[in-house]
Amino acid sequence: MSRLKFSILFFLVLFVASESRAEEEKVAELKEEFNEALLLRPLPDRKVLAHFHFHSSAPPTRTYGRHHYLFPKSIYQLVHKFQVREMELSFTQGRWNYERWGGFEPISSSYAKPPGVELWAEFDVPHHQVDDSWKNLTHALSGLFCASINFLEHSTSYSTPQWSFRSFSGKLRYGTLPREAVCTENLTPWLKLLPCRDKAGLSSLMDRPSIYRGYYHSQRLHLKSDEFDTSNMSTGIVLEQTLTVVLQPNTFSEKISQPSWSLSSLFGRKVSGKCSLSHSSNLYVQFEQNLLSKVNELWGKSEASKNEILINESVQNNPLFELSLPPKRVIKEVENLQKEGSILFEFSIDNYDESDPFDLGLKWKLPVVWSCRQAPLRASRFLLGSGNERGAIALSMKSTRSNNIERAGFDEKECWLRVGIFQVVPWYVKVYYHTLEVFLDGELQSTMDNIEKIHVSPSEDKVSPGVMEIVLRLPCSVKTAALTLEFDKGFLHIDEYPPDANQGFDIPSAVVCFGDFLTSMTFDDNSLQNIPILSKLQENTPVISYTEVLLVPLTTPDFSMPYNVITITCTVFALYFGSLLNALRRRAGEEERLLKAKAAKKTGPLTLMLSRLSAKLRGKPWEPPQQSSSTRSSINYKLIVKVALVAGIGVAWHYYFQ
Amino acid sequence: MQFKMENLSKSTPLLSILILVLCLCNAIPSTAFDSASTSTMHTNNWAVLVCTSRFWFNYRHMANTLSLYRTVKRLGIPDERIILMLADDMACNARNKYPAQVFNNENHRLNLYGDNVEVDYRGYEVTVENFLRVLTGRHETAVPRSKRLLSDEGSHILLYMTGHGGDEFLKFQDSEELQSHDLADAVKQMKEKRRFKELLIMVDTCQAATLFSQLQSPGVLAIGSSKKAENSYSHHLDSDVGVSVVDRFTFYTLAFFERLNMYDNASLSSLFNSYNPNMLMSTAYYRTDLYQRQLEEVPVTNFFGSVMETILTDSPYQAFSGRYSSKSKIEKPLDQTSREKQRTLESADVPQESSDSNMGNEQVSCPFTRTWNTIRGRMEKMKDIDCLVNYGLILMPPIVAFSSWLSR
Repeated sequence: MSRLKFSILFFLVLFVASESRAEEEKVAELKEEFNEALLLRPLPDRKVLAHFHFHSSAPPTRTYGRHHYLFPKSIYQLVHKFQVREMELSFTQGRWNYERWGGFEPISSSYAKPPGVELWAEFDVPHHQVDDSWKNLTHALSGLFCASINFLEHSTSYSTPQWSFRSFSGKLRYGTLPREAVCTENLTPWLKLLPCRDKAGLSSLMDRPSIYRGYYHSQRLHLKSDEFDTSNMSTGIVLEQTLTVVLQPNTFSEKISQPSWSLSSLFGRKVSGKCSLSHSSNLYVQFEQNLLSKVNELWGKSEASKNEILINESVQNNPLFELSLPPKRVIKEVENLQKEGSILFEFSIDNYDESDPFDLGLKWKLPVVWSCRQAPLRASRFLLGSGNERGAIALSMKSTRSNNIERAGFDEKECWLRVGIFQVVPWYVKVYYHTLEVFLDGELQSTMDNIEKIHVSPSEDKVSPGVMEIVLRLPCSVKTAALTLEFDKGFLHIDEYPPDANQGFDIPSAVVCFGDFLTSMTFDDNSLQNIPILSKLQENTPVISYTEVLLVPLTTPDFSMPYNVITITCTVFALYFGSLLNALRRRAGEEERLLKAKAAKKTGPLTLMLSRLSAKLRGKPWEPPQQSSSTRSSINYKLIVKVALVAGIGVAWHYYFQ
Repeated sequence: MQFKMENLSKSTPLLSILILVLCLCNAIPSTAFDSASTSTMHTNNWAVLVCTSRFWFNYRHMANTLSLYRTVKRLGIPDERIILMLADDMACNARNKYPAQVFNNENHRLNLYGDNVEVDYRGYEVTVENFLRVLTGRHETAVPRSKRLLSDEGSHILLYMTGHGGDEFLKFQDSEELQSHDLADAVKQMKEKRRFKELLIMVDTCQAATLFSQLQSPGVLAIGSSKKAENSYSHHLDSDVGVSVVDRFTFYTLAFFERLNMYDNASLSSLFNSYNPNMLMSTAYYRTDLYQRQLEEVPVTNFFGSVMETILTDSPYQAFSGRYSSKSKIEKPLDQTSREKQRTLESADVPQESSDSNMGNEQVSCPFTRTWNTIRGRMEKMKDIDCLVNYGLILMPPIVAFSSWLSR
């Protein structure tokens, strides 16, 4: 009996131990992680793209608890308070040049953003609470990032995309502030979310003047959480912070060749070691496929040895360029039929410190000209018409010919190009959606033929903006396509005009999405999935581009008009009524009599006394007015009588009481 | 004539009784109130710095505000206690040759827009409405803490405003005006809500003095860069930036503060005396009649710095409960004795302050009220009022007897 008991106990102990070990393993798996990376890429127009990528993740609260070592507390609280499922906030200044800096690659479709502030968020709350959550979120973010994001709380400034923008759930809200200034005060709180701030690691490169001197900078925060999912597979909160900058290296080389640069010449700083809290901190230098193919053409190498020269002799005897430091490894994109792979040189900054800072330099040996890969159509948007009453918005798309290459396998007749357009227009630009016209190669088309899907929610005055979502279906052979929409310009209330109303009003960027075209980089090595920036680059994302912001001049009132009106009206009324009353009331005969009577009237005793009193107070000898003596004696007599009367009353009073 | 005198003397007892009764009625509640207001110590510092001008050519106003921001930060007010309102973005303006930098001097030695600027209200948010909301604390519930002025009855607040002004108004963004009445109302409301202990208003605009004309609340000190019908001028032009970079009044204010550090004891009067009308090209104006304390005794760091006074207590958390005594009264009425002890300790700490504030309350223009207040003040200074009342009662019968004898 006792043995049995003992064995049961033994098994129990074993069981418990094994379970606890399993749990331990699970806990060990779920750890907060922080990764930093910087991607540098020379651009065809002598500029350099720098893309900072910071990735932090926190395991779900259910298994990990609420205490975090690395993950920013403010973001965690934000997610929990407003039940954010996914959110993206970007601050951008400048416009991404799709033509020169590329329009068909992961960075341009995921990280190129419209100017100003763009915010979209998807919530995990019932439908009727989404608007409240959005409003509170905008206020919280405005406090967190020192920006006036709280202007997005008004229902006139945000919209609910139905299907064209990312999600179908109806719990997504989208808003932009095209004119929001972006400066140091926005970057600093963003950096404060990083465990090392800008004190160590790659973020220490962010010298404010050199970043804001750039042609384009976009600071972005992307948040994804499945905290509120009931399934056990949740991954917690993932926070991705990126800063994309296009800089001009300041060198004095001749115009033809690419400028050579180094980290210290780009940013004015060097990296003194990694952020010790980060799991990995790497720097990548990317050379585009078009650049590489140019090199191959130049050197006439055979197909087989393509890129090999670059990879094998990258450091020393590379014919094209020279990197000042040997790369840790070279990552090559897998090639497919149409695409030639780009090359990434990886550098680790683990082994550098204050005394030996990391400063990578790139030196070009030969002048080289190449172009970036383009999206199938290049979209641009402009205004038509003149005057302050009406106008039209036109969205034109020009073929860049790359669609033919992409879709070479298809039959020409079967080939369709799907273009999704998402456009938000503020209410004071009253768009007539029935005037939508589609032109293909300059010819007007019947709209229904080319529109696969359309959803329009017209604007409501001072309540909601107008939203248009379209999927166009264009033949692949199309050279140009254009959309026009007519609008009337509305009037605002005098209080609703901004202080600089004469500058005009902004129509936010339209989002043009090529859903059939996916950009991604594919690498051979599966271990690269562990590095967030590379796994991000490997994700399949549709090609997206943003159009320009439109500036619509609206009729602005003369703001001093109310005052002018009030003053002029009052003057007119005063003149009119004054003269009218005067004419009606005046009686000439009576007036004359009154005047005569006044002249005849003598100065009263009271006035005399007052004048005497005032003279005494002023300390001057009293001068009697020029009057006859008889009147004066009568005054004195009256005065004496009065004083006597008062005295008499006083005496009478006294005796009466006794 | 004699009868008249008698008449008058007959009515004196009645009058004196009336006055005494009135006095007693008045004195009891007012002393209670005064003791409550003076027992609050100066516990924290806040700064509200406002630049109200938009557009590039008003660069100097932003530079003014940022210079003050830098100064108060250097002297110890933390960022979360500074509400910075900038009406436009100059640092990253396309016209700025030096991106992300703002200078207040043509030597460009000091970048005011360093790496750690926290702007709370900017651009279109800088409106009269938001400004008054900040002062009076009437916000929507969603507004984050960083955008609120969370001051209390122990706060010293510095309110600095710069922009374009005129006779009794200050322009906001070239489209709205803040009038002197609005400012006075807001300050009055703040006083009633006990949002400050002392308030220093510093204004650098044309005709700045006129903005203070409606102020009535006690504990307010005001400095303006120019008197009525005077302009405030900019100091110098930076030919690299292309615009004037600083205003004269602010320039000389900064020149005064650059010599100071957090521990200096320079008084407010030394700041006020440092303004030279010839250098300013305008006459700096101070309104001190609402302020209780002597300016010679008040260090500038009372407003431009932050207090970090240490209170020694026997046990932890005592000081805290003592400081917010009104709150703790509600929460735990059992803690009565210890709190009382705390309060006496505090008042012993700041005897000069409390007596000063009594003095200051009486600086009212009407001579009658002034004498009346001095009497009241003296009465309050007496050990106990009961004694006085008894004396008064004892004194009353002889007066009545005397007057009736006189009239007989």
